[in-house]
Amino acid sequence: MSAFRTTEPNTGFVTKKSTNTYHIQTGEYSLACTLSTRLKRESDGDPVAIGDFVRWNEAGQLTEVLPRRNQLARRAAQPMPGSYAHEQVIAANLDQVMPVFAAANPKPAWNLLDRYLVSAESAEIPALVVLTKFDLVDGKPESAEILSIAAEYRAIGYEVIVTSAETGLGLEQLRAALSNRLSIFVGKSGVGKSSLLNALEPGLGLKVQQTSQLTGKGRHTTTHLEMFPLTVGGAIIDTPGIREFGLWDVASDDLALFFPEMRPLVGACKFGLGCSHDQEPGCAIRHAVNAGEISPYRYQSYLKLKDEQL
Amino acid sequence: MNTRFTTRRTYTRSGGMHNTFGDFICLHCHNFVSAEMSLSGVHNRNHCPYCLSSRHLDLFEAGDRLSACKARMKPVALTLKRSTRKYAHPGNGELMLVHVCEDCGQVSINRIAADDDNALLMSLAAGRLEDDLRRLLNEYGIAAVGSDEIQFVKRGLFGLN
Repeated sequence: MSAFRTTEPNTGFVTKKSTNTYHIQTGEYSLACTLSTRLKRESDGDPVAIGDFVRWNEAGQLTEVLPRRNQLARRAAQPMPGSYAHEQVIAANLDQVMPVFAAANPKPAWNLLDRYLVSAESAEIPALVVLTKFDLVDGKPESAEILSIAAEYRAIGYEVIVTSAETGLGLEQLRAALSNRLSIFVGKSGVGKSSLLNALEPGLGLKVQQTSQLTGKGRHTTTHLEMFPLTVGGAIIDTPGIREFGLWDVASDDLALFFPEMRPLVGACKFGLGCSHDQEPGCAIRHAVNAGEISPYRYQSYLKLKDEQL
Repeated sequence: MNTRFTTRRTYTRSGGMHNTFGDFICLHCHNFVSAEMSLSGVHNRNHCPYCLSSRHLDLFEAGDRLSACKARMKPVALTLKRSTRKYAHPGNGELMLVHVCEDCGQVSINRIAADDDNALLMSLAAGRLEDDLRRLLNEYGIAAVGSDEIQFVKRGLFGLN
């Protein structure tokens, strides 16, 4: 967190964001600011993201967002099909992205995980996958499938930590991974992001709820973005559940570069960089999938995302 | 040969199987193939009724669309599905079409659709199977219908005894 200290006057970083209010940390002090009219006018969406370094004026209005080291963004949810889509920056200046998935209740959405990973790769932010609620499947047949999928992602090069807020499984490993870094938990509603944070930092007392028994989905308990300092050093950003995660600023031609297992094969196809890795003969990536070197599920995710980006 | 599907696969590991069999254009014979059940009589339209070609798209189970091979699957033979009935007459099983992938040699067995070209099906039954192919089918436990069993094919296709 030393990177978040600033000596410049009237500058600090955004630690909490709720409708129209931004909480800024500057040294030992915290203050609540609003957006200046000029900043509002300059942007389609929200110009300030959590983790941003900002400058404010005497009226307590944010006047400037300092250049970002990186940013995690998605395509903002569209109110209706065909309406204008704009970028929504979820957080900025991150050290790592942590997609959080429940082993059960709600069921893990593996294609959503691939979206998060591609987004993190495109933003050049390291990603670490967290699997929660493992106590719900421990000793059941589903656990073997989940562990084998986790092994697939480890083989690609992503660290996967299996946790349980109930039993304390994996919490020490997670603390070590979070130490002295600014991380963000992202995932669907109800996967246990806030419960995991409560288990990591017992004093936080974040509000949590059971998932709906009727739908098996989360209840959107966390409704704002907030950064929490950790006793092991560093900080973690808790986010509301994200139901849709459309990729932003990822060109369909570049997509294979954001799949680490496909990256070395890009350009090695018969048609070189012109290959779309879908139907072309002599495609090195398809050949690797057939040879068992690339997971067919990851390849499916690639094709699906490519279709969307076209 | 490639086959372009106008409806994309919708299989996900977490969401399970969804309807993946849509209309397509056979790039082998360039005919449009409708997946409409009232035309084909089957839920899963997986080969062209005009040239009987299929495409290697499935990996673990029918409809998963997880294979990256995507090569042409050539119709090579007919076979009779074994009847589950203990006292069934010989040749009473359902007539099935055998496809072999031209690229990786994967064998698959598919249901014959109502609008499949009967002349082509008859020619498959009457044709002589090459030894290599017969050996490959034997490895998969598939007994191809031979010209001596042509009456079973006629009965399956036309209802003639």
